Amino acid sequence: MTSAKDTFDRGLDRVLGPIERAFSPVANLFNRYLGPYFGKLNGLQFLLLAVSILALLTAELWAPLVSGTMFRTLALASIWAIFAMSWDIQSGYTGYISFGHSVLSGIAAYTTALLLVNVNPEMPFVVTAVLSVLASLVLGLLIALPTLRLEGPYFSLITFVGVLLFYRLTTAYDALGGIPGFSQPEVFTWDPVMRYYYMLVPMLLVALVLTFLARSNLGMILVAIRENESAVSAAGINPTKFKIWSFVLSSIPMGIGGVLLVGFYGNVDPATFILVDNSIEMIAMAVLGGMGSILGPLGGAFLFEFLNEELLGGQSRSVRYMILWVLVLLVLVFARRGLFRKIWHRLGEVGGDRR
Amino acid sequence: MVAGQLPELIVNGAMISAVYALIAIGFTMIFGVGGVLNLAHGALIMSGAYIFAVFSRNDMLGLHSALAFVLTLGVIAVLSLALYEVLVRWVEENPVITFLSTVIVAVIATEAVLTVFGSPTMGMSLVSRNSVNLAEYGISTRIRWVQILGFVVSWIAIGLLWYYITQTDDGRSILAASMSERGAVLTAVNLHAVRAKTWLIAGTLAGIAGIFLGAADGATPQMWLNPLALAFIIVVIGGIGSIKGSVVAAYLIGFLEQFTVTFIGHEFRGILSLILLLLFILYMPQGLYGREYVHD
Repeated sequence: MTSAKDTFDRGLDRVLGPIERAFSPVANLFNRYLGPYFGKLNGLQFLLLAVSILALLTAELWAPLVSGTMFRTLALASIWAIFAMSWDIQSGYTGYISFGHSVLSGIAAYTTALLLVNVNPEMPFVVTAVLSVLASLVLGLLIALPTLRLEGPYFSLITFVGVLLFYRLTTAYDALGGIPGFSQPEVFTWDPVMRYYYMLVPMLLVALVLTFLARSNLGMILVAIRENESAVSAAGINPTKFKIWSFVLSSIPMGIGGVLLVGFYGNVDPATFILVDNSIEMIAMAVLGGMGSILGPLGGAFLFEFLNEELLGGQSRSVRYMILWVLVLLVLVFARRGLFRKIWHRLGEVGGDRR
Repeated sequence: MVAGQLPELIVNGAMISAVYALIAIGFTMIFGVGGVLNLAHGALIMSGAYIFAVFSRNDMLGLHSALAFVLTLGVIAVLSLALYEVLVRWVEENPVITFLSTVIVAVIATEAVLTVFGSPTMGMSLVSRNSVNLAEYGISTRIRWVQILGFVVSWIAIGLLWYYITQTDDGRSILAASMSERGAVLTAVNLHAVRAKTWLIAGTLAGIAGIFLGAADGATPQMWLNPLALAFIIVVIGGIGSIKGSVVAAYLIGFLEQFTVTFIGHEFRGILSLILLLLFILYMPQGLYGREYVHD
């Protein structure tokens, strides 16, 4: 007896099969030259990837047709995609869940603001940006060195307590701007189209580098730590060293994202940067797309922001977030691997092993 | 000046620690029995405060405080059990998914509270708002009736729990399950029933803590965060899964925080606790009365 699902699956294969065959020559070309570094694709996966990148790059042509605020949504989604991917390379890959990643982007933002306020208001962007990312890296090391030596849930506990404490400090001290924060940093540009491209290009570069790293031996070791840490030790690899590496790899793009977010809002305050809800939002995006896959969280971030800003835009803030969190909970329970990963693997199954 | 502030420190420290102990015991019991770190524990505490407000406030249901207290505990216990039966039970074999789904439950609760009650602090009263002046005993502080009641109720709850867990067969099955699940099952303990009971007890304790926190300082949609962080710190210091450890560590942290607030400054509250937590994690990860984090 064939169930409705089988019939549907077979119908899908019949529709997608010819498309897969049409694009598999290009995909094979990609596989031959870039496959070893970025993973192998079939025709459909290649098509999806190419269309997505093309759509992002040519948003100028279609975004105004969707809605007037679409450029803003896409720009925000690009920044949050950086956060979600950065969280993923550390937490999603190693299974050591961080609840405090917003501190890493926050320190970059605060470094930018403090440099402009206290040192030199005319400091060029290049200098503040580099120093800010460096600050994220240093703080990342400071958090990672003592805590990642431990196994089990302690790391998550420390990051959770840490982010609450950091939030309290930034709101309590006037030297850190207090609750209103700093408004000295300039936005990159007021032109929404240019602003979008300023956010998009770094995001694509981060995605490229992180995908490359995740597909390398390093990424495999990180996954092995998640699956069985003692087996990693038994293979003669020091898990602590690689957990710390994953945190370092995560803090650098977090810093970049923090700098971009400053350029987006032109304001540095605890509620935009440090609040623990921000860390949970990154996690939610990664969960929606699929933890442990870099490109999944990227898709998750765009889906999350699209739902939040465009589809649910009319609702009040708390209703919007309640709907989004319920959606995330449903994905966590019923589709643990995430929506985009599911689609990706379904596409990969079309055409069987002919590759 | 320092000597003069000492009695004040002791009185206030004891009052706040009593509530901290309630917060931490439920959290540690759930971890001890099921191996689940319930990040929605803070959300249960917050729900306790808001539900008590709905029952007791005159502009809402306006019930008598004692009746509202009992009803609230019942509601929170059932909510806690529902959280286990509907969600945690199905994901508990994967710690990462459990972690994430319980934290998402907590933020759903926050948004629900924001939608229904809005963001301002919501006041409520449990007992008379008056306070006792201790000046005649040479202590220059006032102590509120709600604090005294919290202290007394906390110790009654701890006493009842101790009696239940060590003196009755029903309660000893919880202890057995937290020591060795396989051993408990072999001696005919119904593991699922034990877990359900643990969640009911943890929910009740969270409800009590929530009511006292709400009655002392009012309820806000963000009030789940600090109790959860405190529960983490206390449970790690006391030893994960140990009730005795939770009580001792709750008083340690309570006095430490009170000390910070009195002598160093309000904004440093929590920093000393975090440093203590780090020291414990690095040098004594099993805590004061705990065992190592192992699962078999």
